[in-house]
Amino acid sequence: MFQNLSIFKMAHAMATHAGTRQAVVAQNVANADTPGYAARDITPFHDLVSSGPRVAGQVATRDGHLHGQMSGAQADVFNRDGALSDPNGNSVSLELEMLHSVATKRQHDRALAIYKSSMTILRTSLGKR
Amino acid sequence: MNEFSNALALSSSGLKAQATRLRHVSENIANADTPGYHRKAVSFEAVRGAGETTAVEVGKTRLDKAELERIHDPSHPMADTTGYYNGSNVDLIIEIADAREAQRSYEANLKMFDQARQMSSSLMDLLRR
Repeated sequence: MFQNLSIFKMAHAMATHAGTRQAVVAQNVANADTPGYAARDITPFHDLVSSGPRVAGQVATRDGHLHGQMSGAQADVFNRDGALSDPNGNSVSLELEMLHSVATKRQHDRALAIYKSSMTILRTSLGKR
Repeated sequence: MNEFSNALALSSSGLKAQATRLRHVSENIANADTPGYHRKAVSFEAVRGAGETTAVEVGKTRLDKAELERIHDPSHPMADTTGYYNGSNVDLIIEIADAREAQRSYEANLKMFDQARQMSSSLMDLLRR
């Protein structure tokens, strides 16, 4: 843990991802009544870090790796498909956006809690309160 | 941090658009009995906000071209030879439904704003320790 502090990097990436997603959700809600607007979303955080779903692709676990940085800030924005759209072509569902925003807030809180407690461990090891 | 200010800006653009819509609804209701009044309708347009974001803006205000209501009242000063005069084409049911929808969307935007604010303030709390 103390060599490269990867847990801090992971927490940072998670919090950044939550911030980006919150902006996308806010954009969807702001355009909830705009004709022709398609609801958007970004790649979930676990798809950015875990190796599970990507069978063939390479996963960067360090900044020097081929696939660039491990901090998953490069989440792609895409149009959320499968949503039914209104007669005016708008596919935003406010209920769904509420759900996503709460999930995002929880992800952000979790990242900050991890960061905070790791910081406490570091502080304790340095002998400061 | 930039993402949070994006989210706040997007939410406030949504709030502003919904507030304008609500204002037009109240104008229509206030003029429901004004002879010759055409109801005003606003349209929402997606505009490019800061960075890659899509904010919402109120487009041009249009007058509803629907037929004015013909009211029979021979004693009315504006009545023609047949005893009819032009009322307004405001339908209160439509206006109330529109106001409800605007209120709901306003609340959703407000919630998004509050959520983004909470997230950034909990980030700030990390520095305070």
